[in-house]
Amino acid sequence: MEIGGWDIAAALAKAVTYAATFGAAGAVLFLLYCRAQLKDRQRALIRRLIGVLVGVAAVTGMLRILLLSGSLSGEFSGMVDSTFTGMILRAGEGRATGLRMAGLALMLFAFSTNPVLGRFAILGAVAASTSFAWVGHVHGLLPNTAATVLLCLHLLCAAFWLGALPPLLIIAAGANVSQIAAAAARFGTLALRVVALLLAAGASLLLMLIGDAAQFWAGAYGRLMALKLLAVAALLGAAAWNKLHLTPGLLRGDARAAELFRRSVLAEMGVGALILLTTAAFTSLAGPP
Amino acid sequence: MLKHLLLALAACGIVAAGPCMAHAKLQSSTPANDAHLREAPRTLTLNFSEAAKLAVLKLVRDGKELPVPLDKNAQAGRTFTLMLPLLTPGNYTVQWAAVAADDGHVTKGSFAFSIA
Repeated sequence: MEIGGWDIAAALAKAVTYAATFGAAGAVLFLLYCRAQLKDRQRALIRRLIGVLVGVAAVTGMLRILLLSGSLSGEFSGMVDSTFTGMILRAGEGRATGLRMAGLALMLFAFSTNPVLGRFAILGAVAASTSFAWVGHVHGLLPNTAATVLLCLHLLCAAFWLGALPPLLIIAAGANVSQIAAAAARFGTLALRVVALLLAAGASLLLMLIGDAAQFWAGAYGRLMALKLLAVAALLGAAAWNKLHLTPGLLRGDARAAELFRRSVLAEMGVGALILLTTAAFTSLAGPP
Repeated sequence: MLKHLLLALAACGIVAAGPCMAHAKLQSSTPANDAHLREAPRTLTLNFSEAAKLAVLKLVRDGKELPVPLDKNAQAGRTFTLMLPLLTPGNYTVQWAAVAADDGHVTKGSFAFSIA
């Protein structure tokens, strides 16, 4: 496949859309799950973060459609040519983007202190984070129902895990050691199960997509997938260190553990960004053989 | 319970999943890539690996684009045959862009042929 500037720009827009969508969804889920461990000021900061990320995800999601149209035509005028944007939207992007926009809008209910309305935010988090499953390579599988379900699960777990990192950083930046410990321990308990589900779903999907293994790993898609798997392994290592070494230190009141925890979360966010960038690349610029 | 359900779903998916068709690749064309023709072709045919919508088709000679009618509202398909204008001897390049009907991905490419 010929790859040009338009395609790279569209892949970058996809990576930012992933990050912003997962960031917002994960923050909504974090607010729900770790509510009791948060102070009012931290809840307000996390809600503000959700608002910003919802806006970013909406803008970059729309921008990606325009960039794909531009890629089709090879010209700037193609970005706003309804023939090309219509083709992109009808081929599956419309369904995925529509669901994501609805989910993003619902996530703004996170600003409400009404617990009933807050449930809409959770529904929005699920809808937005799983929207990416409604277009893409799994729809080339015959049949694709199981793959789509597994991908939805994989995406939701990724949003929970990666999207919790900014709120954890907010807590680690200003809170006392005991509060950081309580939040880290609370998050870590569920994170263990979520990560196991994420890995199981991801591994199953990979087996479905591989086909001829030698051909798979030799191609661009396989090489990018290998890079993603390395980054995931690094993230797992950092998460294990947090759970087994830093969190116990925090629970003992070790102030140094708090600073190490903050740095670890920052590093995990960097690796998470690499995972999303790599995923955007192999889902946009390459395909399984 | 959830773990068992997931394992069952994954097993069914792996067993039942057939080949993955990803990205509409150009499998062949008439004229073929790098073909040297004695007579000018009247039609251009593109065969893709899966159903796609052909969004762009440009026929270029000496940097100048020649008009080739393309129905962008046509149904998705694997084969597209287009009428060509009367072509004079020379080197031609065909540039195409398509959207795969199943996974929505954009693929692009080009091939060349010459008329003696």
